[in-house]
Amino acid sequence: MSEAISHADVRHLAATHHEQSFVRRYIFSLDHKTIGKQFLTTGLSMLVIGGILALLVRWELAWPETAVPGFGWVPEPIMFGGIIPPDTYNAFFTMHATIMIFFAVMPILVGCFGNFLIPLMIGARDMAFPLLNMLSFWVALVANIIMLASFFVTGGAAAAGWTSYPPLSDIPAYSGVYWGQNLWCISLIVLGISSLMGSVNYITTIINMRAPGMTWFRLPLTIWALFITAILLLLALPVLTAGLGMLLFDRVAGTHFFLPSGGGEPLLWQHVFWFFGHPEVYILILPAMGIASDILAVFSRKPIFGYRAMAFSMMAIAGLSWIVWGHHMFQSGMSPVLGTSFMMSTMVIAVPSAIKTFNWLGTLWRGNIKFTTPMLFALGFVSMFVIGGLSGIYMASTPVDIYIHDTYYIVAHIHYVVFGGSMFGAFAAIYYWFPKMFGRMMNERLGKVHFWLTLIGFNVTFFPMHILGIGGHMRRIYNPTQYDFLLPLQPVNVLITRGALLLGFAQLFLVVNFFWSLFAGPRASRNPWEANTLEWEAPSPPPHGNFPGPLPTVYRGPYEYSSPLVAEDYLPQARRLEGRVAAAPAH
Amino acid sequence: MTLAGSLAMPHRAPSFRPVERTPPIPNAVVAIVVLVTGEAMLFAGLIGTYLIFRISAPDWPPRDLPRLPIPVTVANTLVLLASLAPITRALRRLRRGEGAGLARLLGTSAAIGVLFVAVQGAEWARLIHHGLTAGSSLYGATFYLIIGCHAVHVVAAVVWLLVLAALAWLGRVTPERRAGLEMATVYWYFVCVLWVALFGVVYL
Amino acid sequence: MMSWLPEGVSTFAPQIDRLFYGIYYLTGAVFFAVQITLLVFVFRYRHRPDRRAEYTHGNTTLEIVWTVVPAIILVVLAFVSRSTWANIKERIPPSDFEMGVTAKQFNWEAHYAGPDGKVGTDDDVVMDNDVYVPVNKTIRVVLRSKDVIHSFFVPSMRFKQDAVPGHEIPIWFKVTKPGKYEIPCAELCGFGHSGMRGWLHVLPQEEFEAWAKEHKIGSTAPAAAHG
Ligand code: HEA
Ligand code: HEA
Ligand code: CUA
Ligand SMILES: [Cu+2]
Repeated sequence: MSEAISHADVRHLAATHHEQSFVRRYIFSLDHKTIGKQFLTTGLSMLVIGGILALLVRWELAWPETAVPGFGWVPEPIMFGGIIPPDTYNAFFTMHATIMIFFAVMPILVGCFGNFLIPLMIGARDMAFPLLNMLSFWVALVANIIMLASFFVTGGAAAAGWTSYPPLSDIPAYSGVYWGQNLWCISLIVLGISSLMGSVNYITTIINMRAPGMTWFRLPLTIWALFITAILLLLALPVLTAGLGMLLFDRVAGTHFFLPSGGGEPLLWQHVFWFFGHPEVYILILPAMGIASDILAVFSRKPIFGYRAMAFSMMAIAGLSWIVWGHHMFQSGMSPVLGTSFMMSTMVIAVPSAIKTFNWLGTLWRGNIKFTTPMLFALGFVSMFVIGGLSGIYMASTPVDIYIHDTYYIVAHIHYVVFGGSMFGAFAAIYYWFPKMFGRMMNERLGKVHFWLTLIGFNVTFFPMHILGIGGHMRRIYNPTQYDFLLPLQPVNVLITRGALLLGFAQLFLVVNFFWSLFAGPRASRNPWEANTLEWEAPSPPPHGNFPGPLPTVYRGPYEYSSPLVAEDYLPQARRLEGRVAAAPAH
Repeated sequence: MTLAGSLAMPHRAPSFRPVERTPPIPNAVVAIVVLVTGEAMLFAGLIGTYLIFRISAPDWPPRDLPRLPIPVTVANTLVLLASLAPITRALRRLRRGEGAGLARLLGTSAAIGVLFVAVQGAEWARLIHHGLTAGSSLYGATFYLIIGCHAVHVVAAVVWLLVLAALAWLGRVTPERRAGLEMATVYWYFVCVLWVALFGVVYL
Repeated sequence: MMSWLPEGVSTFAPQIDRLFYGIYYLTGAVFFAVQITLLVFVFRYRHRPDRRAEYTHGNTTLEIVWTVVPAIILVVLAFVSRSTWANIKERIPPSDFEMGVTAKQFNWEAHYAGPDGKVGTDDDVVMDNDVYVPVNKTIRVVLRSKDVIHSFFVPSMRFKQDAVPGHEIPIWFKVTKPGKYEIPCAELCGFGHSGMRGWLHVLPQEEFEAWAKEHKIGSTAPAAAHG
């Protein structure tokens, strides 16, 4: 094929490659590292917006129908002198969730770290299709802009929940939302195209462009996770697109796919949405699992415990994720017999997560654990993910779900897995790879303050939500004090909001640390963490083409820490050992 | 579509070559297979919906609505399948190392694609005239959604072929630089085979 | 934590609460086991410059143990849950009283049989947001919705079921204690979702009959034959 080209050629080309213009280099860049940073930029910005929406939601819940300080300027009818009306409240949590899931966590974990890490960790010079890669970012940005624009159209942004169940999302008169919901659909369809481009690139790159010696079972678990995530994205998002298309047609073309008045079926949307939606939640967690696995091994100075079990359990999660979607629909009117079978599959899908949890603990066992900021976040990840996973068991049990479905028990679960899981993983990744991305170290002290404040703020915010759930507190209500039986729970709501404010405040330490380190952090060496994987063979930050000189050759698995073969406690994948020990066992 | 266009132009790559060894299956082929898998899931979603509606409907197609035109569509299907011949020839020639006549062959396939879409469009106009609209019933809605979605894919593929034909005409598709054509061929086959499947499910 | 559960007042409540508590203890044990192990490891194996981590890649026996044990626990849990689920959702007992509840933005309409003794006809007695039922009787309700999806939730009964437009969902319950219980709507249904609530008035049999007479309820018994 056309890509076939000799080593000598490459060195020649790399050497003669001339300086690129600013625009080519930073804006329309084809370099996977720049594209990764672009995803990081948009993802973090959207995280701030999603976070502010969350805080507005929290304000309303703690002190209902009072003016939010500092928001008096928001024009009517979105807010009234800072007071959030019910329809705006609905739009806020809908957009909070949509933004967090599709425009913050996915861009950061999949878009940024997928892009930045895949070529570097497998030892390639770039993605298989750099131009496609760039397009995938710009298409995602278009989706992003469409989503944000929906705040400004008449009727406001989508307000039917991030799950947008029809008929509420289907007939404008039911929700009072007109173009907002259409733009929501269009934005996610566009995002689907971007994600398809990304998957094509990730999968091709990982299959075809691994450095010499980088066999499948020498891949770092982060890469395994991203590979499996890319497959899930490839298979799941088009299904959502199909559903979104139908919803959009119902709204603008007069069809009745989900409207009983024309013979349609509202529950069909739920099946389509959750058939996508459950794989989607594992799309959010798998990269974080991979990242945590790598970081735990590095800072325990120990091989990951059960490498193959880790890889296979991720495959099991991915495989099983296609047959559990009905656990979101136990109370939807779906046949109870189906409910039982979905309960079975849901219980089974907890097993691979159990395997992973115990292997993380096994990795720590008899390690020599260094408490750097990334390690703290990785440990926090394990601890918080377990809480979120365990609350999933309550909901998986169909009878218990009768009671806790659509209550704050679910909201607690969501946030323990997506914040305690995915976001902690993302924070760990930012602290860990920042030196490689930007060539400077982040400040450890600020990082630790960020960690502890986040951990505390997070638990004060989300742990009491279990209590609300047990008390029967419904989700998606804007004023709990309208209900007699919720009045005793109101102090808990106030506490939660205080926690959320602390959690939001804690993130300022990340912001400060990030920008301060970007410009004034100490220069990072090539391998500041003394890690084994290939990205640390490249300079910090890696140049265009990643590895000066020929590509590294891989001699062993990624987790040879404290190996008896060498005196140091790490043995990089690309280091060639002379003599009899050259071929160390992979595992 | 932009996606298709971008795949046709893998040569505006950075100044180094991303691959330094030849993988057993070329990148382009892996990529297009992956892409087609994703597209297949889109249609799986649509067909799944369609089948659910069809199975649970008391009578399908609803009695008062016009039938779908089977003879014309059979003919049109054959037309579409005929378009596979030129593009296959083009690829085969290129693989053998011959570069002549590519633009004409690709242009022919694209033209047949256009013909197919045009006949479809005419049939749609007729059906709508007879009262089968998207809003009239689920039958109409699923029909237009699925067939329309396929038509969009045909149009995208036609654009891709035309871009390649233009490139070939400029002499920029050569035996060494045929990744674009390899991919476009797989995609064109996908679009045609998918059509046969859709025809079976939706029309029959 | 579980003390925040509202008092349970239906036949479902003890069954569901038993499972709820069971899972609470089970996951509580797992929670403490995992978190304490984590803390102990983190503390015991904290970094010392003079120590070297143990070089091990895993242990197959352990892998098998921690795959099989959770799997067994979870499957058992699924089977235990299954029978409770069947009791609630699949085995619908013969009813003592029939009525309908229709959800709409943003009210619960209670439908009682009118003079014709049948529910679901034009002469139904309809009231907004007040549902009256007799205590200790099996009540059978046909749940409908006029517009969007709502969810009929009675926290004290541990009962919840979505009302879906285009579907008639049969539900049943038996309240064991007279009283007045809130019926919040648990599924997002628009700007009035918050605040969409009705009251479930559970009356002793005699009081209920008096109420029914006063409101000209056609028949309180399951006059319309049930299947
Ligand atoms: C990152 C995202 C993520 C992840 C990883 C998960 C993981 C799981 N989820 Fe979660 N889920 C969501 C995101 C996620 N979920 C979201 C966003 C919603 C709400 C959507 C909405 O309605 O808006 C939701 C809703 C949701 C529901 C629907 C509830 C309802 O609406 O009524 C259910 C029901 O079964 C469920 C179950 C589970 C289970 C069983 C797991 C399991 O995978 C967890 C497995 C992990 C463990 C169990 C912990 C570790 C294991 C051990 C330490 C071993 C020992 C354990 C035992 C023996 C018990 N989830
Ligand atoms: C990845 C996903 C994700 C993340 C990260 C979060 C983060 C948070 N969420 Fe979110 N949430 C969801 C996904 C997520 N959520 C989903 C899927 C739902 C369901 C929606 C539905 O029902 O449809 C939901 C619903 C939901 C609800 C329920 C609403 C309801 O049902 O009525 C609440 C209420 O408390 C809430 C709160 C929060 C809070 C306080 C945070 C905090 O963690 C946020 C803290 C972060 C920040 C604050 C950002 C950082 C800010 C800065 C760096 C700047 C600092 C700014 C200031 C101090 C002003 N969320
Ligand atoms: Cu009705 Cu919510
Ligand atoms: Cu799920």
